[in-house]
Amino acid sequence: MTKRCIEPPSFVLDRRSLLLAMASLPLGTAMAQAQQRDDLVLAFIPQEDPEKLIGDIGVITEWLSEELGMPVRGFVTSDHSAAVEALRNRDADISFMGALPYVIANEHAGATAVLQEVYRGKPSYTARLFVRRDSGITQLSDLRGKTIAFADPISESGYFYPLDLFAQAGLLQRGEDPNRFFSRVLFAGGYQQAIQAVANGLVDAAGASQYADILLSPDQQIQVTWIGESVPIPSHSVIARGDLDEGLRSRFVEAMLRLNEPEQRHMLQYVYGPDGYVVADLAAFEEVRELARAYGVLR
Amino acid sequence: MLGRFLAFFVAAFVFVTPAFPTVVTEEPWHPAAAAYRTMMFMADLVPAPWDEIRKAYEEPHPAAAIQRPARAFFDTLPDDAGAAIAGAIETEDRQRLYEASTRALSRLARNALAEAAASLSEPGQANRKALEAQAYYRAFGSFIEQSDPEAGRRLGLAWLELMSAIGTSGIMGTNTVAAREEDFQYARAEIDTYLTANFEPDAFAERQKLTPLPETIIAARGEVPLAVWLPPGSDLSDQDPLPRLVLNFEEKGIDETDLPLVAFGDMLFDSPNIFGEPARSLGLTCSTCHNRSDINQRFVIPGLSHQPGAVDVRGSFFNPMFNDHRRDSLDIPSLRGLRFTGPYGRDGRFASLRDFTRNVIVSEFAGPEPTDFQLDALIAYMLEFDFLPNSRMDRTGRLTAGASESELRGEALFRKPFPQMDGQSCASCHVPSAAFLDRKAHNIGSRGQGYDGALDGYLDTPTLLGAKYTAPYFHDGSLPTLASVVDWFDTRFELGLDEQERADLTAYLNAVGSADEPYEDFGEPNTQFRLAWEELTTFASTFDALARSRDAANAILMLETVALDLALDATGMLNSSARSQVFELVEILNGMLAAVRADDWVGAETLWASFKEMKEDYDKAMY
Repeated sequence: MTKRCIEPPSFVLDRRSLLLAMASLPLGTAMAQAQQRDDLVLAFIPQEDPEKLIGDIGVITEWLSEELGMPVRGFVTSDHSAAVEALRNRDADISFMGALPYVIANEHAGATAVLQEVYRGKPSYTARLFVRRDSGITQLSDLRGKTIAFADPISESGYFYPLDLFAQAGLLQRGEDPNRFFSRVLFAGGYQQAIQAVANGLVDAAGASQYADILLSPDQQIQVTWIGESVPIPSHSVIARGDLDEGLRSRFVEAMLRLNEPEQRHMLQYVYGPDGYVVADLAAFEEVRELARAYGVLR
Repeated sequence: MLGRFLAFFVAAFVFVTPAFPTVVTEEPWHPAAAAYRTMMFMADLVPAPWDEIRKAYEEPHPAAAIQRPARAFFDTLPDDAGAAIAGAIETEDRQRLYEASTRALSRLARNALAEAAASLSEPGQANRKALEAQAYYRAFGSFIEQSDPEAGRRLGLAWLELMSAIGTSGIMGTNTVAAREEDFQYARAEIDTYLTANFEPDAFAERQKLTPLPETIIAARGEVPLAVWLPPGSDLSDQDPLPRLVLNFEEKGIDETDLPLVAFGDMLFDSPNIFGEPARSLGLTCSTCHNRSDINQRFVIPGLSHQPGAVDVRGSFFNPMFNDHRRDSLDIPSLRGLRFTGPYGRDGRFASLRDFTRNVIVSEFAGPEPTDFQLDALIAYMLEFDFLPNSRMDRTGRLTAGASESELRGEALFRKPFPQMDGQSCASCHVPSAAFLDRKAHNIGSRGQGYDGALDGYLDTPTLLGAKYTAPYFHDGSLPTLASVVDWFDTRFELGLDEQERADLTAYLNAVGSADEPYEDFGEPNTQFRLAWEELTTFASTFDALARSRDAANAILMLETVALDLALDATGMLNSSARSQVFELVEILNGMLAAVRADDWVGAETLWASFKEMKEDYDKAMY
């Protein structure tokens, strides 16, 4: 499919400048400007190559525009914080993020999850603690004094949930420096890097999404197993700013749910590639909120 | 093997072990790294496909996350590094291509690391640049790990330290972690120094093969052999949706475990161990290309496949001895109804299915000479392949009641003789009562001449049964739809069909090429793994017969195939909590393997008895 980039790459910078400018404006002025918009604006966090994301945004916003009968634009933020700020400032109406950033966005910007991604039939996934099958490590306590790689220090499945398994086992206190249990804690930069580090024997364990091992080669998959698994974590969600017009929000949700239909499913690859969407279950995020508070991420 | 479904993005991991019946998701490649590996792979083919190499460099790479071609990245380097690569391609100079592109890719990786270092005050930006550097390094990484394991480990740790040292800006001011610049620079220096010494040396040694190897290793040990690898974008995974397999005995209610010869042939059809290298190490089996007796529209190896669903099996890659130097990538044919479709081969070159099968094993895929028993088993299994039932058509090939007006008009047209076709009709060759074929080769002008005056364009008439699901069409897969096939004949033979007639003929082809259930229907608990589990345990059941005849060679072949496939398939289980039970069974199979190798048949049979018992116990959890 030909990808059309609705926003040229330079737009990202313009947008960022605009954000900064708007942040410095009195709230009323910013709201007045935002309310003048007659379009729907989507803020995308660069979970993958920003250049790819810009191409994907062009495709999905064009499709949404046709579905909703109104202009739809998208832009790439520099990080999660920028996306939350954009929602708070009404510079964006919709964003896409994991459960932990979402509860923070909910707290700081009043944003609400409207949809959750579905993988293998579920709107949730788990985090696992992976080790090499030949390591002799069979339980969490075996990892005392060993090395561990997590995906990212602000990832729920790539850090907080697998780390919390040690707290639940009484091996660490929630919020305690994990270096007091492990000999070395590393952040590999992503699931793939973390699980690869275990497979290659560079670290003794890795904390990552339950699906991380499918990023390994087949022969490596056989060599890796897991010794701990978290409770279900709500999957990544689509969130809307809290004061987005109710009618528009409903139409947006209905449009996104149409991506589940066979003839539209190919479009899912342009929104981070889930298997589909379901309407968000807000109660499912309470546990995430509790964990975020326990680790001081949420006050 | 069914479980080979999704699997195997060779490109992602490069080095492979036999059989890949597992779920693997490939991390997208950086265009420069993808093109680099592709160019090195292709330049080692004989003859090298320089037109494809040029495309890999100058056009968007299918395995890359972004559409910008590799050249756009190499052109950002100073000293005309990008032009040097283009020049090497232009002059078809392999050594120059290796040197220019290796040096340039290393430089890109080091530059990205330098940019990451310069932006440590912005963790987000530093992280992105470091990931970009890793994406370039990935093109070298697995080759370093294999040829220089000590350095591979040291560099792997350096990357971990480097990523950890970047820190994070947290979310909304929480959980911020400051960068540790000294640690970052230390790790960066480790990587930078190795790349410079090994991929940007003052001078490169002359290469026989272009697999990227560290220059210090070349200097010390020469071109060390590495495991076989394929370029990014290669896909050996099964087609999705998976074709439905129709076995004659199964439809009659006969259990495959009561047909040990057939079951053993089924196992051989799914075993890479009947082939030689490199097919064996790649896990290629008969079923890799012929999923469930049909085709695999997904199969592709850049340089060997001119498009997905096609491959040149007579080139230098699989068996240099059999290299015909023709670059003749052919569309993979279906094997459904095989006992009715002889002669075999696209041009009908083999009258005997046995000769054809031996040719595939020995000549095309460099395998050892199969024994008579192995050929008997393979043939016994393949002769069970039936066509897909199609209630749109009766047993003589006539459309059944309920056919549309258009389809009926199409049927009449199909049977209508045309003077432009020497008074023949479509049905003259695609005989409806004979499975829509005539078992003859014809030259209809669909194949170009091999040389001036050549009379070499004869191709075997293909069946139209199940054709709705076997696109693209013709020996080279040049026609994407049945409608385009109709258009081709209309043009080629100047039939003068109007739009309605072409639509009618297409509707008819769709009807006779249709099927009641063309694909496997999966769901919980009828998962892909469940199907694999049932197949593999059926294969294992042949142990009884093999043990009775003390056939160690075939017992070992079977046990090796089943044990590895079962372990690999387990990685794709929906019920992942039962994976450890599968590994228990794999251990038993490995124990049997060791016993048979030690000629301890009693020990092997004892283990086999426990396997059967545990299989029953675990059966319900196997999905």
